[in-house]
Amino acid sequence: MTRHSPGRRTDRLSRRAFLAAGAATTGALAGCIGGDDEDGNGNGGNETNGDEGDGEPSSPDVVNSSNAPTTPSVEDPPDAVYLPTHRESMEHLETVEAGEYAVMPMLTYPHKFWLVSGTEREAVTPDSTGVHLMATVWDAETGEVLPVDTGAQLRLTRDGGLVDQRAPWPMISQTMGFHFGDNVPLPEQGTYTVEFDLTPLGGDTVRKTGEFADRFTEPRTVRFEFEFDQEFQESVVNGVEYLDEDRWGEPGALDPMAGMGGMDDNGGDSGGMDDGGEGDGNGSEGGMEMSMPFSDLQPADAYPGEGLGTPTSGDAAFVVRYLTETRLTDGSSGYLLVSPRTPYNRVPLADMALSVEGALEGELVQTLDSELGHHYGIAGDLASGEQLELVVESPPQVARHRGYETAFIEMPSMGVEVP
Amino acid sequence: MELPDPDEVSRRDYLRSLVAVGGTAALSACLDLTGDGGGDEGGSGAPTGDPAERPARQHAWNDALGTDEDGNPRPPEHHVVLALNLATTPDADVRKTVETAFRSLERAYAYDPAGLLFTVGYSPAYFEQVGADQPVPDPEAITTLESPEFDGFDAVVHLASDEAAVVLEAEEALLGEVDEPNGVAMEATLEGVFERAEPRRTGFVGPGLPAQHTGLDGVPDSVPEEAPFFMGFRSGFAESQAPEDRVTIRDGPYAGGTTMHVESLTLQLQTWFEQDSHTQRVSKIYSPEHGEEGLAGDVGEKLGTSTGVAGEIAERTERDARERGMVGHAQKAARARDDDGTPPLLRRDFNTVDNEVPGVHFLSLQRSIDEFVRVRTTMAGEDLAGEGVGQRLNNGILQYIFVRRRGNFLLPPREDRALPEA
Repeated sequence: MTRHSPGRRTDRLSRRAFLAAGAATTGALAGCIGGDDEDGNGNGGNETNGDEGDGEPSSPDVVNSSNAPTTPSVEDPPDAVYLPTHRESMEHLETVEAGEYAVMPMLTYPHKFWLVSGTEREAVTPDSTGVHLMATVWDAETGEVLPVDTGAQLRLTRDGGLVDQRAPWPMISQTMGFHFGDNVPLPEQGTYTVEFDLTPLGGDTVRKTGEFADRFTEPRTVRFEFEFDQEFQESVVNGVEYLDEDRWGEPGALDPMAGMGGMDDNGGDSGGMDDGGEGDGNGSEGGMEMSMPFSDLQPADAYPGEGLGTPTSGDAAFVVRYLTETRLTDGSSGYLLVSPRTPYNRVPLADMALSVEGALEGELVQTLDSELGHHYGIAGDLASGEQLELVVESPPQVARHRGYETAFIEMPSMGVEVP
Repeated sequence: MELPDPDEVSRRDYLRSLVAVGGTAALSACLDLTGDGGGDEGGSGAPTGDPAERPARQHAWNDALGTDEDGNPRPPEHHVVLALNLATTPDADVRKTVETAFRSLERAYAYDPAGLLFTVGYSPAYFEQVGADQPVPDPEAITTLESPEFDGFDAVVHLASDEAAVVLEAEEALLGEVDEPNGVAMEATLEGVFERAEPRRTGFVGPGLPAQHTGLDGVPDSVPEEAPFFMGFRSGFAESQAPEDRVTIRDGPYAGGTTMHVESLTLQLQTWFEQDSHTQRVSKIYSPEHGEEGLAGDVGEKLGTSTGVAGEIAERTERDARERGMVGHAQKAARARDDDGTPPLLRRDFNTVDNEVPGVHFLSLQRSIDEFVRVRTTMAGEDLAGEGVGQRLNNGILQYIFVRRRGNFLLPPREDRALPEA
């Protein structure tokens, strides 16, 4: 196992600002709960010594019971994608390949995320020691992230004994895009082995087209190890990086993680959205040598066919295209392609139920195409001036990291017209 | 596995642990604790029986089972599924020995959950060895989410009783380790005919979740204490179970018998109890409507004898997936019922902590293994994936269950249970 330590990043908030922000925003910062910190993990004293900010990274304190740092959170966030207070740090393990799949495992401290069932949201708050274990899965050949719930599962063992078995949640995060992850309690420090099972992609979950049509049909298992120790726990907590306080809760998204997005131009526009990104190039910093694809979709104008606009619903952007000639149908009709994605980072919104009414009626089928990527589609013919209503029957059934939890839940219908 | 420390756990958990450990030492510890029929003669103090009082169908247990306050059959508390390999070539004498051993058990224990209920089954490997046509297929993976191991041994004995000592003692008596179970002499045993094979499956049904096995230490509040199954809800509602007639083979050499599938599952209870809300759990076990309308109560106690998923709720499964982004486990399974609403499977499943991991041995009886495969496929709901639910996510309880092992068996009628040759 090779460890790639989280790179030290530029501090974005002086200690003074950090402390002021904490007091103003939550009143629940490190120092306030320092009573839990008995073993002197090196952070406890820092926050209260009153030194001026000097550009050194300011680390949050750690609650011993769960190794979860006490970070401030945005109060009353908007019902939209927003900038959180901080950027998490994580440890990347080496990419593991098995058959057609490549998997990058990542680890950080257990943190809050949100499950989505229908339009209900359920916060998951860490309450035991362990890790937030994540894995991004992509096509080893093309580097394309496979952004749908394939029913992956993992078994965690230590000295040959089963410690935990679970199906990690399909999740989206601003910095990591689509991935699988969960908070996994670990009984004690030590070396853990993970067997991560990838199940065949397709069946009824997603229609595979193009060069993907006959691929990803075999189940595969990748194995990796990680060390759960004090060094890891400290490094992921110390690597937390705060945004300027006046940006907390602003519409916008953190840039994809350093080392990600190398597969195509990630600096393009975001499907016609305003520039609300984190900005100023942080995404290329961090000293990470690992390169891992980010699950971003193409900008709207990169798609073939005729554009029917990019309406929004629940803060998601829906790229709508009408293709008259395409291999995605048997050739007898046109094809309506709808590609819902997050604003700013263009992360695909998987596992939603989408249908169309009006000039064309029916259920759109979740599709993963080797060239056009993840989208929902339906065969049919359209003529100029015809009206369509895109109906979100259920929002994307993927768990959410911070900053995505309030968006993509209430998603009203959208009208589009064929130009 | 080592014997548990009786001072560390409750009496109930201790007895369950002893059944999981098995063997004569566990049996002694169990008899010491229950204090019945101890002394030189041994024995568990259970009511004795008469082979003549047993019905012609091995799987006819319902008449002997008690019922809960709502009228649902109450399964026996303790279970052992004993795996056996043939150690000799069957002939008339060997058959007689085997039948005599089973009849000895029937004399030692009454046909009653306070005594012993048991069935004897045979695997595809057995029929191949004796040169007979295979009446049940080799087990296979049923869903795309699993890569299970398969039972390859020859025969199986499912022992069930409300008394922990009875299942342990009956097991040891069959294998020749105890001469006089419950004070009644074994006139023959399986020794020399069969030898023990792996795995030994054990488990229990009844309220109480042994916290030391859940990874849920420190959060006992999250698990409803009165729930009879690990996932926290009642199961085995009379209306969700096939009648014994419905699972009985009608024609052919095994008419009057049935087939048994054993699916061993590992459960992820930490996620289930700590990450999901109660409403989500109810929705995922029964249906979204049960969750929204609060139809189930804390552990399903408001449901009486019926989950109420048959009919309208089952019919709207696909619509629930699309419009509510979630479907229930029972709701999905109900789609596989007969036209008249009869479920095709008779579940005799139980909780387990085998390998010290919480799980379920989903033991199911049906007229043919095909029917199990059909219902299990419907239950997996892979047809719904991509329709607003994922392959696992919000697709019933698939997020929390992991198939570890499968086995298929034929349970002949009782008169042919000793090494069938047809």
